Amino acid sequence: MARRRARIEPQGKDEDVRLMAGMITAGVVTIVLIASMLIAPPADVGPEEGSLAPDFVADAYTGSTWEEVRLSELYDGRLIYINFLDTDCPYCWEEGEELSQMHEAFKDDVRFINVMVSLEISGHDSSRAEVEAFRDKTSFGDNENNGDGCYSGRKNCAERPGDPHTWTYVDDLSNSIAKDWDLPGTPFSVILDSSGTVIWNQAQPENHPSGEDVGNALARFLGGN
Amino acid sequence: MANPLADPVLLFFIAGLLASGYLLASSRSKDGVDGTNRMLEGTLAFSITGLLSSAWTWVIYNDMVRNPLGGEFCATEGLVQCGSVIGDPRYNNLFGMSWGSLGMAAFTALFFVVLCIRMDIHAKWAPKYLDYAWWLGLAGVPFLLLLIGIEVLVVQHICPFCTAAHLALIGYLAAVIMLRQRREANAWH
Repeated sequence: MARRRARIEPQGKDEDVRLMAGMITAGVVTIVLIASMLIAPPADVGPEEGSLAPDFVADAYTGSTWEEVRLSELYDGRLIYINFLDTDCPYCWEEGEELSQMHEAFKDDVRFINVMVSLEISGHDSSRAEVEAFRDKTSFGDNENNGDGCYSGRKNCAERPGDPHTWTYVDDLSNSIAKDWDLPGTPFSVILDSSGTVIWNQAQPENHPSGEDVGNALARFLGGN
Repeated sequence: MANPLADPVLLFFIAGLLASGYLLASSRSKDGVDGTNRMLEGTLAFSITGLLSSAWTWVIYNDMVRNPLGGEFCATEGLVQCGSVIGDPRYNNLFGMSWGSLGMAAFTALFFVVLCIRMDIHAKWAPKYLDYAWWLGLAGVPFLLLLIGIEVLVVQHICPFCTAAHLALIGYLAAVIMLRQRREANAWH
């Protein structure tokens, strides 16, 4: 009578190899990481002074049409002044005149860029038409408090202080650029050097001479004082 | 860089994919433990190729953050290039994390799981780990489809190193399917 032999299943190793596998994996990844960082170290990107400015691609208005622009493609050897505005913010309304004056004083040495956001506050509901009107100082809305127009919908955009602006206005009404730039509020100013490194951030006054505003900062960087 | 397809680093990754595929294909003619081990080695090779190609896209990303208009390690113009994908701030990250670093993390997990099985294919936990390998690999597929969709439909450029990482994941998944079939057919050992 034939005897059936039970099949013996192979057994695993006595020791648990998973720890060893983990160590091997960690070793391989460490080598790959170190090699990668030696070839091209990660860049320090952010809105803080000394960091590379976060790049962005967005539609921008320069007076006639909206066209896609990329921040890094706007670097042209001049300093870059980035100003975040909301057409419905009362302080931004006043900033319009200051921007006109600064542009007149620094336009040869500084490239001006306005990033137009729409703060998530009641009454702040900017649109591209409103942004165009704010920039060009054209009629949009009326002076009734009916939510239509600039300054929380209380003023006709044509009455904004200052001259019509002639520089690039970037559409960030979705606030996606604002998030990357840790926007604390509006108006908000940042200055970049000609290679895109942040050299002045309004939110870091501890790094600046006492009481320095953006106009003084531009003058300082340009060797004025 | 004139012709990205002649890039020695890309050729290295293509060689890695071919070697991984060869290991996998040759394992089918082997029975028992030898065949399973060979198949696991092919799977490991795919995950290593994926890890290295992801690391290289991270290198390109870091380079292009510094030099947005012309990186040193990959072309920025032409149909096959990195500038429109890795160099574009709209598509080169997921919640601020570069796709390359995410790919490295994913392939590290895949490598670890398969390495555990390869080091002890008879372990009690090996079948469970094979399932982990499958589900972890499958979790990368939606991201793979998203990135291919961006390349083909949105930017209409092909990033060669991203494609190497995508092919590594596809090869890895094919290998895990074959391993699971081997297990179901009681041909594991």
